[in-house]
Amino acid sequence: MIRSLGATVCAGLIALLVTIPTIPVSAADPVRMDVLVPITGFLALEGTAQRNGAVLALDTPPEGVTVTYDVADTATSPEVAVTALRRSLDRGNPVAIAAPIFGTQMLAMAPIAGRAGVPLLTVSGTAKITRLGLDIVFRFFPGDDVVKVAQARYAVEELGAKRPAILYQTTAYGQSGHGHLVETLAELGVAPVLEEAIDPGIKDMAPALERAKAAGADLLLLQLHSGPTALTVRQAHERGLDLPIVAGSAMHQPTTAALLDPEQLEGVCAETASSPISDHRPAAKAFTKAYRDRFGAEPDAFALGQYDGMRMALAAVADGAQTADQVRDWLAGHSFEGVAMTYLSDGTGNMAHDALIVCYDGESRVPVITKRYEDVDGVLATAGAPSK
Amino acid sequence: MTKHLQPASVAYILGLLCAAGGMLVFGDGYAWRIAALVGLYAAASIGFQLIFGRLGLLMLAQGALFGLGAYATAMITAHLGLDPWFGVAGAIGLGAMVALAIAGPVARLESHYVALATLALAQLVLLTATHGGEWTGGSNGLYGIPPLSFAGIVIVEGPALALVSWCGVLLSLVVAAAVTGGSARARHATIREAPLVAAALGIDAARARLILFPVAGALAALAGALQAHGLGVVSPAVLRFDVMITVLAIAVIGGRGSPWGAVAAACLLVPLPEVFRELESYSLGASGAVLLGVLVACPGGVDGLIRRALPDRTDTLPPVQPLRFGTETLLAEHLGKSFGGNRALADLSLCLEPGSITGLIGPNGSGKTTALNLISGIVGADTGHLRIGDRDLSGLLPVRRAQAGLARGFQHSVFPSELTVLQAVSAGATLGQGRAALDLVGLTARHDVPVGSLGAGETRLLDLARAVATQPSVLLLDEPAAGLTASERARLSGVLETLRRAGLAILIVEHRMDFLMAISDRVVCLVAGETAASGTPDQVRADPRVRAAYLGREAAT
Amino acid sequence: MIETALHLLPSTLALGASYALVALGFVLVINAVGAVNFAHGELVMLGGVIAVGIASVLPDGLAAPGLIVLPGVLLASAAAGLGLAALAYLPLRRAPPVNIFISTIAVGLIIQHGVTAGVGPEPRLGPPLAPGLDQSTMVIMVAGVAIAAVHLLLSRSQFGRMLRAAAQDPDMARAIGVPVGLTIAASFALAGALAGTAGLLLSNQYFVTPSDGANLMLKAYIAVVIGGWGRIWGAAAGAVLIAVFETLIAVWLSYAVAEAALYLAVFAILAFRPQGLFGDTEGRRA
Repeated sequence: MIRSLGATVCAGLIALLVTIPTIPVSAADPVRMDVLVPITGFLALEGTAQRNGAVLALDTPPEGVTVTYDVADTATSPEVAVTALRRSLDRGNPVAIAAPIFGTQMLAMAPIAGRAGVPLLTVSGTAKITRLGLDIVFRFFPGDDVVKVAQARYAVEELGAKRPAILYQTTAYGQSGHGHLVETLAELGVAPVLEEAIDPGIKDMAPALERAKAAGADLLLLQLHSGPTALTVRQAHERGLDLPIVAGSAMHQPTTAALLDPEQLEGVCAETASSPISDHRPAAKAFTKAYRDRFGAEPDAFALGQYDGMRMALAAVADGAQTADQVRDWLAGHSFEGVAMTYLSDGTGNMAHDALIVCYDGESRVPVITKRYEDVDGVLATAGAPSK
Repeated sequence: MTKHLQPASVAYILGLLCAAGGMLVFGDGYAWRIAALVGLYAAASIGFQLIFGRLGLLMLAQGALFGLGAYATAMITAHLGLDPWFGVAGAIGLGAMVALAIAGPVARLESHYVALATLALAQLVLLTATHGGEWTGGSNGLYGIPPLSFAGIVIVEGPALALVSWCGVLLSLVVAAAVTGGSARARHATIREAPLVAAALGIDAARARLILFPVAGALAALAGALQAHGLGVVSPAVLRFDVMITVLAIAVIGGRGSPWGAVAAACLLVPLPEVFRELESYSLGASGAVLLGVLVACPGGVDGLIRRALPDRTDTLPPVQPLRFGTETLLAEHLGKSFGGNRALADLSLCLEPGSITGLIGPNGSGKTTALNLISGIVGADTGHLRIGDRDLSGLLPVRRAQAGLARGFQHSVFPSELTVLQAVSAGATLGQGRAALDLVGLTARHDVPVGSLGAGETRLLDLARAVATQPSVLLLDEPAAGLTASERARLSGVLETLRRAGLAILIVEHRMDFLMAISDRVVCLVAGETAASGTPDQVRADPRVRAAYLGREAAT
Repeated sequence: MIETALHLLPSTLALGASYALVALGFVLVINAVGAVNFAHGELVMLGGVIAVGIASVLPDGLAAPGLIVLPGVLLASAAAGLGLAALAYLPLRRAPPVNIFISTIAVGLIIQHGVTAGVGPEPRLGPPLAPGLDQSTMVIMVAGVAIAAVHLLLSRSQFGRMLRAAAQDPDMARAIGVPVGLTIAASFALAGALAGTAGLLLSNQYFVTPSDGANLMLKAYIAVVIGGWGRIWGAAAGAVLIAVFETLIAVWLSYAVAEAALYLAVFAILAFRPQGLFGDTEGRRA
């Protein structure tokens, strides 16, 4: 009985496998934009924000545009991401793709999307992805060469750090950010007294904090994911380590602040591209409300960046772009007034040029926008006034 | 060495041809990429079957070897600028070398420790790649790895990539068949299921490991290298435990030890997340559920299922290869052994001459089994010397002693259940010699049944035949008559008589006095580790110390 | 240097106690069925998520939210342990141990991705046992009590004897009247409850994230091997040793070097004491 059941299961699966190729290809009209992001594994938090932002944009397209989409998980490896891309390209004929925040996956996907001429819209901070010489990568989040500049400058220029310690994750996010932090600090004439690499599996941050103290640090620069950032902030508070903290973008995520008491957060700052929950402009408030209503969660800058990116692609379609090539050219040649900021390509697909510093006041888990670093790389100024 | 294909293999090949045909008609780029991916995991898993399936070692570094291959070719092509094919060759070489280096130390460990040691090694490789800086590209890895090209065709995706990947599968199948086919199957099964028996038969487990580990490592690295060129990037993701889990699941679902099963299971498991893609974030969980379902439904794996439906053709009886025994004398002098202060055996001296049977008797705990263990080398002696002919065996491993002409039967013998009687008896010999040994003990008619279907008495005789088939000079037997019926005992006596006439020197530990006294030329009696008496059966029977030791039991016999 | 080490000692002990609690349920299943339960890390994670879930419906400002949710967590986790036994162990009890290794990995995948998809991927903060008291001290105390209790249960009680008999030879145990099925089910339920307790304590101390399981599993595995396969106190000592590497060695040499040193130490232990630091020398099976 069990054996025959097993045989049936096996046979059924083989049949399924054989029929994969025969699933019908959907029609080219209306336009299609797939969402390929990591919604499982260690980047699930950021990837889910991407998915939600993209879905929110795609579900409310501009007048006259109909769009279909699939959401697929790219998990944690480039292999899975490339397979998902292949499926999207071969079965969906998309004009644009929301692509993973995970830089390694982008590096694997970009050449394939390049051959197909389909634009990849991402919020990945990895600097390299726009330096491949491919014209299909569009980044709707300031790259590490923008946000890390803001983080380091805020620490040095506003808080007067002379002996900062850098704690960074041993992931692509952490290592890439660490490199840019060190570079910017050097330009500002400051040398970090400690650069500590921390595996995401590490549970106890006390050794890193003790090392920073022993090295005589006067400020902590964090480039850690959400949980480890919160743990570091909490343990620093508990151990009475009275150092200012300027964290990476993970700190601005509402999920990170939710792990901490407001008083533990007092004086902690973070870089980010935007902070939808702290932003009082009407467009940002509308976005935050729509996001909360739809997903029952607080939006972060990754969600908003991906939302703005997909809205820009939809604007291209509304403006007459019907093919992937036309969407790509439109994205490369127009500026777009998004909810978070004005987006304009620097010629290599870097669309976002503003960074924010947000700080917590010790009363609330909603941070206050403390400083704006606008047009850090000078792209908007060179291009002149943005066109609507 | 059977050259014809088994029915199950024909079924596998037909299945693959159908799938290939389906791909050629319906396949798009996506399907071809999955096909390529299936091939890579199949090749790595075939390699894993050699270590895990054949040798029975839970070696959890196969995933790391896959990743190592990917990194090796990436560095060779990206840093040194060499041709991708050089990269692939370098990866294969590195994989083989690393696996070879693992083979030795791991052999000393029990199974769970093998698993952890190799897992720790894999973690260490992952750590190195993550912290490798420019050299490994850190967590982002290396990108822009050039694709393979052949005869001007750049192999970057589609059918070409799948073809290269499946060439890897084909190569893996051929190599696996070469190192595990024929008589190697019985040897590996014996090493895995009964390591002590294997050593006593002269089967060199260390040598088997030194062949199978590098092959497995090379196949994993080949798969990894092909993946790196197909993907264009390599990152620590290839070194994470996920790859290992996939390979392990393929090996178990495919059917332990079966290369073809691994191919079938790769076809089943690798595309699973794609089948469930519609479920979005639930898709990997759904894959887990199917994995569990298949595991429960077919515990013998896909291969077990297929071979139940299409049983293997059994070997036809090979021609007899007459057994030629050595004719050398075993001389043991002053052997002694203590366990934690308790003297188990003191000053035992024996001379086993060609064409003679020596009986070793004594009450329980008198040191008989210790004597056998000291002579066969399973336990190292504290004192004394041992030689066969003019060769000194003292201090040699059991397997070397067996190769020098010492064979041993076991009281509780173990046979790998997957083997037929003929395969099992030939574990330490050729099939022709095995056939001759079966003829000798009268089991020839049962040659093609699974070894597990023999009765208890037949199994004892098979154990004797397996030892005899190795053509030893000296044969040690541990209670060969225990559990035999009267007629089987008579048959055993006849066999031993034949062997004596053929020139073997035989030492028998036995407590059935009637049986032993009737066939022995000499008898040695141990009492509490000391040699109490030694001489012809009649002399020993008459010895007062022997009578005292056995008083009330079998002294009157 | 020594001052820093003393300063870190509470951290080290709390981390070691947490790992020991994680290893405890793992080693219990090894003793009960001789199989490796690779879903144990996921059970710990699940326990943490359940604790967060129950705590979220409690009113704010309770004196001891962790203690209030504990019975619920214990019940739900014991049920999860039973479910694991029913899905991954019972159907395969006659199969080779490695099949159970894979089946528990499969159940682990279901738990991990079920939680990620079901309640979301974000890290969460579990309830403190009692807000007035220091959580580290509580973790160390609970771990100490749990380890001692499990040790006594296995070594001194009738249940422990039945468990060992059932693990060594189920058929023989059944023949002499041991309720083998019940014994195994009870040990899985107990292992689940221990995992839940660990999850509850860790979720407050270090948060809980759906992807936590694999890492905890690796730590428990290492602890059990270096402590001597199947030994309760050995596993606890192994867990503390891992914590020493992650804190004291890390503060001295950095996390990355400490992690590499831990794996090298594992090699060294396996090379010089293949039976583990606290194991007996046992003869190899024939």
